[in-house]
Amino acid sequence: MTVEIPKEKWSGQVREVTIGATAEDGGTRTQTLTIGGETTLPFLHFEGNIPHRPALAIEIRDRKPDDWSPILMETWGEAMESPAAWAKAAEEAGADLIYLVLSLTTADGEENTPENVRRVVREVLDATGLPLAVAGPGQADIDNELIVPVAEEAEGERILLGICEEGNYRTIVAAALANNHLVQSKTPMDVNLSKQLVILISDMGIPLERIVMDPTTGALGYGIEYGYSVMERLRLAALQGDSMTQQPMLVNPGAEAWKVKESKVGEGVPESWGDWQNRALEWEALTASSLVQSGADILILRHPETLKRVKAMIDALLATAA
Amino acid sequence: MATHKVKLLPEEKSVEVPTGTLITEAAISAGLEITQPCGGQGRCGRCAVKVEEGVVRKRSTIRLNADDLESGWALACQSLIEGDAVISIPEQERIERRLVTEQTARAIELPFDYIPAETQSIQTRQLSLNPPTLDDSQDDLARLQGALQELGYHPVEISLLLLQRIGPVLRESDWKPHVLLDAPTPGSGPARLIEIGASPFHPHGVALDIGTTTVTAYLVDLISGKVKASAAEYNGQIARGEDVISRIIYAGKGNGLSELGTLVRETIQIVLEKLQRRTGVPPDEIFKVTVAGNTTMIHLFLRLPPETIRLTPYIPAVNHPPRFLASDLDLPFHPLASVDCLPGIASYVGADISAGVLASGLSENDALTLFIDVGTNGEIVLGNRDWMLTCACSAGPAFEGAGVVDGMRATQGAIEEVWVHSDTFEPTYRVIGGEKPRGICGSGLISLLSELFVTGVIDRAGSVKLDLDTSRVRQGDHGPEYVVAWADESDTKRDIVLTKVDVDNLMRAKAAIYAGFSVLADSIGVDLADVQQVLVGGAFGKYINIENAINIGLLPDLPWDRFHFLGNTAALGTYMGLLSNELRMQIRDIANRMTYMELSADNSFYDAFTAALFLPHTNIAHFPSVAKIWGDEVDNKKEEK
Repeated sequence: MTVEIPKEKWSGQVREVTIGATAEDGGTRTQTLTIGGETTLPFLHFEGNIPHRPALAIEIRDRKPDDWSPILMETWGEAMESPAAWAKAAEEAGADLIYLVLSLTTADGEENTPENVRRVVREVLDATGLPLAVAGPGQADIDNELIVPVAEEAEGERILLGICEEGNYRTIVAAALANNHLVQSKTPMDVNLSKQLVILISDMGIPLERIVMDPTTGALGYGIEYGYSVMERLRLAALQGDSMTQQPMLVNPGAEAWKVKESKVGEGVPESWGDWQNRALEWEALTASSLVQSGADILILRHPETLKRVKAMIDALLATAA
Repeated sequence: MATHKVKLLPEEKSVEVPTGTLITEAAISAGLEITQPCGGQGRCGRCAVKVEEGVVRKRSTIRLNADDLESGWALACQSLIEGDAVISIPEQERIERRLVTEQTARAIELPFDYIPAETQSIQTRQLSLNPPTLDDSQDDLARLQGALQELGYHPVEISLLLLQRIGPVLRESDWKPHVLLDAPTPGSGPARLIEIGASPFHPHGVALDIGTTTVTAYLVDLISGKVKASAAEYNGQIARGEDVISRIIYAGKGNGLSELGTLVRETIQIVLEKLQRRTGVPPDEIFKVTVAGNTTMIHLFLRLPPETIRLTPYIPAVNHPPRFLASDLDLPFHPLASVDCLPGIASYVGADISAGVLASGLSENDALTLFIDVGTNGEIVLGNRDWMLTCACSAGPAFEGAGVVDGMRATQGAIEEVWVHSDTFEPTYRVIGGEKPRGICGSGLISLLSELFVTGVIDRAGSVKLDLDTSRVRQGDHGPEYVVAWADESDTKRDIVLTKVDVDNLMRAKAAIYAGFSVLADSIGVDLADVQQVLVGGAFGKYINIENAINIGLLPDLPWDRFHFLGNTAALGTYMGLLSNELRMQIRDIANRMTYMELSADNSFYDAFTAALFLPHTNIAHFPSVAKIWGDEVDNKKEEK
């Protein structure tokens, strides 16, 4: 007896979005990153089309961070001394995208400046041929002040600019419009809020093909199930034809996983927690691999070993489709 | 315990109070009033007073800035007397909204052919008794009851008060007394004797609607069934909390419950005095009172502890109160008058809605009807003659002008409608009374929000676009804001503004109401577009513009001819229940038939609420007419660029 696998016929499709521009398109990238385009749920190849595999980004900073785990500091080592070297190392580790986060202050505690971020972005663009995403430090005024010069410096490169939030998106979207970039729209774990921000951003006239949505997530044990469920509902709505939910999704499991006690703290924790380094890596990898299955199109990671593990999992899931 | 002397200015009244007395309590003991819109929770900041001399202990100083504190301002409901003090109480907000209910009441017509003998529980009769003789030695009461039984009234209860009087009255009337009976089912017992006398009675009744904000009464001639006069007055409890939750909290403090019960009685007394001036009918000639109100108002009126109304699982002491005597309730009507509180449905859908549904005709109509009554709380009923579903959503008082920086009630000086120019963003507005504006009332706020949205001054999330080329938008003390009137054109000599915080409050209020509709409709698989008529009750509906209300997503986007504004449906339904036993039974049936949905226990409500927290709604497909106007406006702007 043959078993017929039931197939769902979805009416909607996730939008295809391309980050980065090669010389042909007016940029200097040696490769671009295209995500989205799915017509079915993650890894259901038998049912629909999944033209692009989930992409893995590595987060780097414009300077050596003060508050990262010693495990990460040791891994990246010397490369953290210069954004260009760090980007290069990330490329070597297998990243599909460099996710550069700007700091509030310089290493000397001075305010970060437009001149400084221009220089950093230029160095990173020169150091690697990967497509680039740049996010501000996360304070509305300062984000706006720093992202505008970034957008100008990277004109034509089709970089992803972040982070647009409901209360602060107009300046960043205007900078993306003026310099032909894309934007990351981030909302706090809610289907309606995700939709609303996509609407607000597209109302400013930027094409939907230039918006990546970040529905926000939590680390394993810290709300991942809530984030997972919101992503799942967004993707189901997208496949059902709800246009404003059809943006590809980006999430940041790296930042989430590396701020929880299990990965941050090596001493004074129960012995049964096991080896610190391994635990921290597992935490990031398990968080990320769960999110891959909820429909994430881009995952931002911090540790190169995690990237390897998640990539292996994606390879394995894709292999069954072949 | 040590006591301290507190002098209150400008009245120059002094009181001695113990250490730890709140300034508000000190004021009350001095016979002065300090308004506490939030019920003394220290949230609204409207009870600020100035400590001129002495020191008070401030438990909280929320909403007071450093300058205020420096110059001695303190929150009266949060500051404790700990030594002698001199305190200035600023002039309290005067309550002076036009009481619209007085206008609408006059237009009320007898809603059906009224034949008192068939439908009225208050019956008057003249009896003819055989005088006693040595051979017929039956006592007076048995003789009276015998005569009543012959007319079909048996058994008849009689109070001691009347028993004390029957002997003389029977003889004075030469054994032909006039009686006034309360016979809920006419013609058959049990009945109750209310009054007996030598001359005929002309009975009157009162339909009383106790609103959170306004108390309305109709004085009704129970023979003709006509409304002789109506009167309305602000509910005296307002100063102890503007919404039901604040009042429940206040009722839980000290003897707050007793105080609130007294305040509403004082209001009823004022209303009755007005009615007496207009008709000459004194309160003690009123023999029947029918009362509607939301569940909290009924609890406070009956002095029932309301605390459980606001705590899960939200169980009131009573939904169907029994009848009481006016004397039991310490009310100034005839002491034996029956006081009939109409039945409610649940903690947040009260008798005002049961009565309102009767008045609206929803429960007898085949058409799929949405009935909404928006006050401080929004109550919604969806259904027809076969089924009815109801819920309450806490809209808050934003549409009544509270919780908005320059919000005010719909009185003299309130901006009631605004138009914004789509290129220059300059507003024009209309003010009640035609004078200089002092603030913006509910209809003005709805109209302003709609205009700011349509012209693109705010985005669909309600954020003010500070990058527009106009001085009307700016960063103010409370965040981004839009200036509706400059200081030199306002009566207050200050700019009248709508801030981002105000917009958020209005958005939350409208989203709560819209989410209420959509959850009700979704829960039974009805599409809001299929609603055949929308009936809007309450004073709220009278002044709002349908187009503006649809633009902001407060009302569903349906053809305008499906909307009907009914005025005070609660008072009308109460009037109907006062006149007719049969309709009174229908109100009870309506209350029993309605299915109540508790939204706080419903998972879909939050989703529906966040979806509605957008202009007009996250799913613009539900608002085709708005999509069209607004789409055109956006296209025009893009072309200009």
